[in-house]
Amino acid sequence: MNLMLRNRDMDLDPVSEFDRLQRELNRWFDVGFDNRGLFDRSLAPALDLVENNDGYILYVDLPGVDKKDIELTVDNNVLTINGTKKEANENKRFFRRETWTGSFRRTISLPQAADSEKVQAELANGVLKVTIGKKEELKPRQIAVAVR
Amino acid sequence: MSEKEATVEKARAVIQPACSICEDDGKVSLHIEMPGVEKDGIEVSVEKNELIISGKATKKEAEGTYLIRERHPGDYRKRFIIDDTIDQEKIEASMNNGILSLTLHTKESAKPKKIEIR
Repeated sequence: MNLMLRNRDMDLDPVSEFDRLQRELNRWFDVGFDNRGLFDRSLAPALDLVENNDGYILYVDLPGVDKKDIELTVDNNVLTINGTKKEANENKRFFRRETWTGSFRRTISLPQAADSEKVQAELANGVLKVTIGKKEELKPRQIAVAVR
Repeated sequence: MSEKEATVEKARAVIQPACSICEDDGKVSLHIEMPGVEKDGIEVSVEKNELIISGKATKKEAEGTYLIRERHPGDYRKRFIIDDTIDQEKIEASMNNGILSLTLHTKESAKPKKIEIR
């Protein structure tokens, strides 16, 4: 039975694909070993860390991971996400397998200003959103100076 | 950003999501990882023998400065050619935790026939 004949997606732009490859390679050389290893790419979920005036927001792509299978810890300004992605289709015959399963772990060093007491997390649509507050004393402040 | 860079950014806005296809008991199931896509953002359509899946991510550009940026900012799109043996009228879809699951059934006529021996 030949169900999926071929993937004929020609929407790909070769220029952008090369660009993406270059970026990926650059990133391998840019990151330190404390952040992420070279070979654990597939088991380290992609994340974004955004800083704004009130704090930091961390987005982690965790499709197919249950809330109860995620463990989030903050220790000495080091945030660790541990978890397991379970295989839902065990003992089935695979035609194609691009998704991964198993345990994952990501550790990131939070910036100095991050307040480990003010961490909130929510999981929606396979994306974990972690909100981290900033320490009051380290928040950028505008001080009005009266000019005489 | 120069004009050329802007075009490249735009072209990259759609990616092919990771996908696993497995067969179980005459049914074919597809599991497509689309983190950040809500149920309403999914569109599955069949045109002739093409199965087109697209997902619009609800994740918007976050306000602020990106300190780490690894996630893909764009939407998802994937196309498959489906075989004649698939029943196009009987495609089931469900969305759970950022994974779209599609179940395709094979046509009754395409199922192996058992011939009884007298």
